[in-house]
Amino acid sequence: MSWRRQLSKLRKLFNRQTPADLNEEMRAHLQMEEDENRDAGMSSEEAHYAALRRFGNVTLAAEKSRDMWRWHSIEILLQDIRYGLRQIWRSPGFALSAVLTLMLGIGANTAIFSVVNAVVLRPLPYPEPDKIVAAYLVNPRDPAFRTSHGIADFEAAHDRQKSFSSFAAVEQGASYFTWTGGKEPVQVPGTAVTAEFFSVLGVSPALGRSFAAGEDVPGREHEVVLSHAFWQQHFGSDPLIIGRTLTLDGASHTIVGVMPAGFHFGVRDNDDLWPLRQLPTPRIRPPYFLQSIGRLKPGVNEAQAQADLSNIAADVQRQFPQSEYGEARIEPFKNLIVGEARMPLIVLLGAVVLVLLIATVNVANLEIAQASARDREMAIRAALGAGRGRIARQVLTESILLAALGGILGLLLAYGGVTLLRALAPGGLPRLKEITVDGQVLAFTAAVSLLCGVLFGLAPLMHGFGSRRNQAETLRGGAQNLNEQRERRGLRNALIILEVSLSLVLLVGAGLLLRSFERLTNTSPGFNSRSLVSGLLSLPKARYPKEQHIVAFYDQLLERIQHLPNVTSAGLTLSLPPDLLNLTNPFFVPSQPPSPGMSPPVAVEISVSLDYFRTLGVPLLRGRFFTDSDRGRPDGILIINNTMAQRYFPNQDPVGQRIKTGDVSPDTPWEAIVGVVSDVKYTGLDSGPEPTLYVPYFERGWTSFSREMFLVVRTSGDPKALAPALRAAVQELDSNMPLADIHTMDELLSNSVAQPRFRMLLITIFAAMALLLAAVGIFGVMAYLVSRRTREIGVRMALGASRGNVMGMVLGEGLRIVLIGVAIGLVEALALSRLIKSWLFNVQPVDPVTFLGVSLMVIVVAAWACYVPARRATKVDPIVTLRYE
Amino acid sequence: MTPRKQPEQRIELVYGTLDMLILRTLRWGPTHGHGIAKAIERMSDENLKVEHGSLYPALQRLQQEGWIAAEWGVSKTNRRAKYYRLTSAGRRQLLNETSRWERFVRAIAGVLGGARSEEAK
Repeated sequence: MSWRRQLSKLRKLFNRQTPADLNEEMRAHLQMEEDENRDAGMSSEEAHYAALRRFGNVTLAAEKSRDMWRWHSIEILLQDIRYGLRQIWRSPGFALSAVLTLMLGIGANTAIFSVVNAVVLRPLPYPEPDKIVAAYLVNPRDPAFRTSHGIADFEAAHDRQKSFSSFAAVEQGASYFTWTGGKEPVQVPGTAVTAEFFSVLGVSPALGRSFAAGEDVPGREHEVVLSHAFWQQHFGSDPLIIGRTLTLDGASHTIVGVMPAGFHFGVRDNDDLWPLRQLPTPRIRPPYFLQSIGRLKPGVNEAQAQADLSNIAADVQRQFPQSEYGEARIEPFKNLIVGEARMPLIVLLGAVVLVLLIATVNVANLEIAQASARDREMAIRAALGAGRGRIARQVLTESILLAALGGILGLLLAYGGVTLLRALAPGGLPRLKEITVDGQVLAFTAAVSLLCGVLFGLAPLMHGFGSRRNQAETLRGGAQNLNEQRERRGLRNALIILEVSLSLVLLVGAGLLLRSFERLTNTSPGFNSRSLVSGLLSLPKARYPKEQHIVAFYDQLLERIQHLPNVTSAGLTLSLPPDLLNLTNPFFVPSQPPSPGMSPPVAVEISVSLDYFRTLGVPLLRGRFFTDSDRGRPDGILIINNTMAQRYFPNQDPVGQRIKTGDVSPDTPWEAIVGVVSDVKYTGLDSGPEPTLYVPYFERGWTSFSREMFLVVRTSGDPKALAPALRAAVQELDSNMPLADIHTMDELLSNSVAQPRFRMLLITIFAAMALLLAAVGIFGVMAYLVSRRTREIGVRMALGASRGNVMGMVLGEGLRIVLIGVAIGLVEALALSRLIKSWLFNVQPVDPVTFLGVSLMVIVVAAWACYVPARRATKVDPIVTLRYE
Repeated sequence: MTPRKQPEQRIELVYGTLDMLILRTLRWGPTHGHGIAKAIERMSDENLKVEHGSLYPALQRLQQEGWIAAEWGVSKTNRRAKYYRLTSAGRRQLLNETSRWERFVRAIAGVLGGARSEEAK
């Protein structure tokens, strides 16, 4: 059809009186023919009928002419939609339950998909994000062991690489900068970066400039770039801010730029400051604390860049022969950001898809029930000439209409859900700020709704709805064809089995996570967490340049705090349990040297104050704690944990043994073990025992590592109430020093299980939804079956069946289906539970207790859903039913 | 009175040719639906079977394409009737259709003629 015809039709569509003069025109035609016939000598009656014969079917011709002016398909669609809406209006109970069910399913899916979309699918918010890569080092003999760059590696890579248009490094680990000069000192989150950081990301400041190449060498002025939010909040969006200075960690930094609103460095979403990191010339290769990132030059691929950096890494290794990293690895920058978040999100998405499947199955069952009630209507339509395709079209329009309503409500639910998710999500979920309901999410919801509508719309069509087979039977008002009834029942039973099995899978997942979470929260961190409070101190180099200044400050502070009311004891530590680990170090035990070419073993190493163990309540197993008399010792001393003692000093007393730590060479001094304490967890409650070394913070070389220390205080009162007194004690000593991140130990423990709690919560919510939907589904089907079989039951009872018999019959039938569903569900769960293996702590994916408990729960709930309709069946009065028919 | 052929002897219209026939009859000037029907019958020596009613859907379609235009007038017998006339687009369309039709007829005739001569062998 040509566009011109479509256009004329479009005009007519809004002007529904299609050729009104058509009838007149055709009447004139007939008259003329009649005139002619009369002129030819026919009688007037004969002339009239001859004209009509010649013309053919007048009504059909008129109808066809009018059809020429119609947009057939659209008109039929509009007609079907109008009809569908009326249908919904006519059976509000059915429509409401279908729409609400779909709302739950689609809403949950939309919410989780928004998260997956923002975190995993959407490209990073930088220009040409695929060009940005992260660089690592590996040991060629032990390639599983991967590390980031040290200063020597970064400098060499930066100066000699040929593959990147820009190359930069960021300092790893969460870091805060103490900003003084405002009302009171505050800790501001930020990341120290090298000069080309912003060019790698491809984002320029909205105000001022970014760092210039070559500014990141010692001796140059300190510079800093601010986030848009920080600039707004603290400087009232002052356009003249550029060039002013900010005192960070006691050093004056010139503000050179302000980033555009919304800019964030994916790894650390909340950063407000990007100070320029000045890198000194290194004497040794470690520590490896710089994450290098680069933007590939056009035409250079990752393999070429990796070869380029590998050559450089080999050179650096020759320069530092003790080190073992001689090769480079390149990975997409996105992996660095999204990394471990991907798999859990996809499992969550899988879980909500199951919920949606159950919801769809439920609605399909409702539709089948509804279809049985509408058999007569459909039979009449078919008898009046509606084709099977036409009826299918009508039914699908109705189901898609329902799905669309469910989708719209689901979208509203998802808006709320996304807000809730953003609030509940534990720290560590990357790109949290990017989670929104956007166009892609809308498209997803629309597609999912459409798919659901088609799926559950097909259910009633699959079995006889609208078929011509027994219209006559139906029209006569007789009972349904038995075969057809049986087929429909078969389909419904299959749907129930599917529903039960899927909800069982989700419940098993939830059960496993619940058990795992319970075990996790009951795990001891290795000390008594009650009545402990902690805070973070950081001593800026500018005001505490020498080791003695640091030691003096800490000694005075501990002295003061120990004399505060309600304080039992106070200590300092470089790493804070349960999961704030700051440093690991290689070590060398003479009795167990590493095999040649392999990386040396690594231990957690922590500098602590004298009273640290007493404050936490970590028991001493052998030897002694550190004492005042250890101050000023020329040699190094260590306390080790139980795991270290058992693994490296089996069958001997470790106290008195000597080991080396750090970069081990013949010149490295020996350190003596003076005590053994029990294990404490520093890398999360779910971590296994790790070898740990403790050193006194006042030991030579360690003091300067101890500028950032956690203060831990045990109190006899409420730990929360102690915070102001602690803050005051710090300020009395140094009015420019904040005490940041004050938390009770119980809070820290709770935060450390926030991620497993979040996952467990979501899966449990989904599983509960699934179970509820499945129960409603079973209930609906059983209730329908009972109502359909009222007569049969009446006959049975009239023939002498007892109530117990009837109850047993109905319950038995329902439970048989449920048990099949449970059996299939158990097999599915066995196959799928491995997916969450990495989330489980001390629970096997095939935990028999969980599998058994969940099966019982499903059976009990399903039995209840069968029992209510079954009881109704026993109330059937045989006389009434028999008379009724 | 011209003798009318019995309906069984008439040829069914090839699908799609009605449009062309209508355009063709309008080349002699505007006329109404009845006039078009009569003209087709006359021109085909009563060989073509056209149910008069079937003209009307075709007339709507041709109007939508812009090949014909319609206005009310008065017939010779003094009846009000809708007169259709060919537009210039319709004239072009008629030329296209006619040449297409002639090629079609030649092609079919060629095939059939070949068949006949083969039978003769």
